[in-house]
Amino acid sequence: MLGFDTFEPAAALWLCLAASVWCVGYGLRNWNNKGYEAKPRKQED
Amino acid sequence: MISKVIAILLYLAVVMYLGYKGWKTTQRPTDYMLAGRRMSPWVMALSYGATFVSTSAIVGFGGAAGLFGFPLLWLTFLTIFVGVFIAMVGFGKRTRRMGLSLNSHTFPELLGRRYRSSFIQRFAGGIIFLFIPIYAAAVLIGISRILEISLGVPYEAALVFMTLLLAAYVITGGLKAVMYTDAFQALIMGMMMLMLLGGTYYMLGGVTEAHSTLASMAHLMPSKLQLGGMEGWTQGARFGTPLWLVIYTTIVYGVGIGVLAQPQLAVRFMTVHSDRELNRAVLVGGIFIPIMTGVAFTVGALSNAVFMEKFGKISIAMAAGNMDKIIPLYIEKIMPPWFAGLFLLGMFAAAMSTLSSQYHVGGTSLSRDIWENIKGREASVAASRFGVAATVLAALIWAWVLPPSVIARATAFFFGLCAASFLPAYLLGLYWKRMTKGAAVISMVGGFATSMFWLLFVHLKEAKVIGLSKALFGVDSLASLAPKGSAMWLMQWVDPNVIALPVAMLLAVGAAYATQTMQREHVELCFENIR
Repeated sequence: MLGFDTFEPAAALWLCLAASVWCVGYGLRNWNNKGYEAKPRKQED
Repeated sequence: MISKVIAILLYLAVVMYLGYKGWKTTQRPTDYMLAGRRMSPWVMALSYGATFVSTSAIVGFGGAAGLFGFPLLWLTFLTIFVGVFIAMVGFGKRTRRMGLSLNSHTFPELLGRRYRSSFIQRFAGGIIFLFIPIYAAAVLIGISRILEISLGVPYEAALVFMTLLLAAYVITGGLKAVMYTDAFQALIMGMMMLMLLGGTYYMLGGVTEAHSTLASMAHLMPSKLQLGGMEGWTQGARFGTPLWLVIYTTIVYGVGIGVLAQPQLAVRFMTVHSDRELNRAVLVGGIFIPIMTGVAFTVGALSNAVFMEKFGKISIAMAAGNMDKIIPLYIEKIMPPWFAGLFLLGMFAAAMSTLSSQYHVGGTSLSRDIWENIKGREASVAASRFGVAATVLAALIWAWVLPPSVIARATAFFFGLCAASFLPAYLLGLYWKRMTKGAAVISMVGGFATSMFWLLFVHLKEAKVIGLSKALFGVDSLASLAPKGSAMWLMQWVDPNVIALPVAMLLAVGAAYATQTMQREHVELCFENIR
């Protein structure tokens, strides 16, 4: 519970950490993934 | 004092150099409005994070955490999962691809071209240009208050100084100058926040000890807040009470969801070359955002324990009732003098990175989405510069007239307004080929109107300050006419977005089935880069 006396703040803190780890994992897994090539329809400017 | 001034001068020298670099490489309108569509993932992600998180989040919401405590961490969770992951993966990739297909330079232009509607582009541009100066003013107030407290600079002089400084590089260097300086500022902010968190936990004897100290202080919660439903800084507010509604509907939901339709953030998705940059940006944002919002909210809540230990008062008492002063006071009174100087730099960075982006997006809305759209002209750098200058001036005027304790509220107001007006049309435009021009117009106008009605006549905080409800109906909020304690009576504390966003979404979906479908060739063009 990380010193909290109620469940809510502890859950929020753990979820923040989990979301951060999720983003890092996603970034690493797709580090070089460019996706399929997207082309502009017309010349810019 | 001398060390603070030297640090600020060094910092400003780097910012001006980066601004100059942006100006040197800006020739075409695409450079000015979209940084040439060639920005690196690091710069993009740090710029996105620094724009997203400003003095509003650190001073305003950090101060709100000083009042309401740890429940604000739910907002941190949403800023990471929704603000980074959903935004970049779910919205960012399609925004970039559709923006390329439609050769869009701004967020309103993307919406306008997706729906083949000049009205949509002008309407969206108008909302941004009219209302982003209020959000910018809140940020400007935040940094000017810090300058006033830390350096003794008169508040009005600080407002003017910051405005001139930012105008110098945003007007000349466009989005490249904005993003280069943002990235530099993000690094400073990250370093400061980590030091602040470490210092606070160290003073309170460690993580667990700090939390349990704050948990044991629940009885010190001011009686006025207890009456509003607060039980403690770790315990939160009782479900359904006025303060529960303020915390979860305005702060957590309003900002946490509102981030998805922020034009100054969405435009950044169009500045990178491929999905790879967005994938990498998810990693950078996933680290940077919790360091920013997570630390600000944690330290804001824990400031109560530290102030109590050192001065025998809780934070809001120390700040004489103005929650915008809690974080600046904490830095000045609690942290060592050398850190106060460094933190001042971090706050400078946070404010400038957000302000520069707000000025830029407001300016391009005026020039590209309103002026050039009405006149039928091609994009031009000169018109964009004029638009940015007008936005800078409007923000300065708002900063002069807005009341105190307004930072967090003005941020939530803009986030909410954008979500209600833009999110359904933006989301469905990216994902649903059946979405129509008529449905987008109805949803945007309906979402905006509902949001404004709620702000002017129902949501007590704004309705009371604006006074229109009182003038027309004799009450600060129409909801106060309902029996006390009833669900309708509680509506005066429910954020406009809780009502306006679902209304806008229902209008969009319903109208899409009732209005004429869009030409198939045009829809295919919009989705040609999306498989």
